[in-house]
Amino acid sequence: MKNTKDTMKVTLRPDWDEIEPLRLQAHDFFGSHRLSGDVIQSLVMVLGELLENSVKYGCYKVSDSQIQISINIGKKIITIEVTNPVDDSNLDDLKRLDRMIQWVRGYQDPFEAYIERLKEVAKRPLHDKESGLGIVRVAYEGDVILDFFVSEDNLLTVSAVLTR
Amino acid sequence: MAKSETYTQQMLTIEVAEGDDTINAVWRGKSIDREPAKFITPILTQMVKTSSGTQKRVTLDFRELAYMNSSTITPIIKILERAKRGSTSITVLYDKSLKWQDLIFSALTIFITKDKRVEIKG
Repeated sequence: MKNTKDTMKVTLRPDWDEIEPLRLQAHDFFGSHRLSGDVIQSLVMVLGELLENSVKYGCYKVSDSQIQISINIGKKIITIEVTNPVDDSNLDDLKRLDRMIQWVRGYQDPFEAYIERLKEVAKRPLHDKESGLGIVRVAYEGDVILDFFVSEDNLLTVSAVLTR
Repeated sequence: MAKSETYTQQMLTIEVAEGDDTINAVWRGKSIDREPAKFITPILTQMVKTSSGTQKRVTLDFRELAYMNSSTITPIIKILERAKRGSTSITVLYDKSLKWQDLIFSALTIFITKDKRVEIKG
């Protein structure tokens, strides 16, 4: 793990059980920067949700594929980036991600987007596996600006930026 | 349903106790499973079923819960939606002093009914 004073860079195996230990590490990292307990909790939640999506929807056909996490604490903004491989099989997921981020951005207040999403998800069948609340929760509870891009070598990076 | 039963899945524990007027579920630990609904939904469904047969109020107490992922919110809101449309009495208790709980659970007031059959209390 690379860890300078204001930057934390980590690689992670795409394994669900790896998420919680990393959340705890990030918690300690944030805690070393005199952030309030609420902000730390919020940022750790953001990281956790982005990691869960990365494990769920990333493409890990190569045995040593990993997830890359980058956290930077600046004077004015805190940035969390999660990067994972994707390929053509992820096209629908990427379209859905794009739709969701654009949809949330369409609301002046992310709380309203969260409420609308709660209403929609609540009406789905009990056995329906899909959650679909992660992105909107990150935007609302995390109070961050979300964005994503896909590089030429098929690496998806989702970023969450908190203005301090 | 037994009078008191504890259910544990990874880091999450749900302790369900049936009293004279209520069926209480106290949530403790963290809910971070990939598919938490598999564990949670049967517990909530059974509580609602017992409630419908006994007219006891279901109480979901999250005040001691340290964290839950967004996948955990899903089965909870589905039960609340069904309670709102049906006849189950259900109360959600949360700790308003914890910002994350306040943000997440205050939003659930969309499920409140005018007759207080469904309540969200912080």
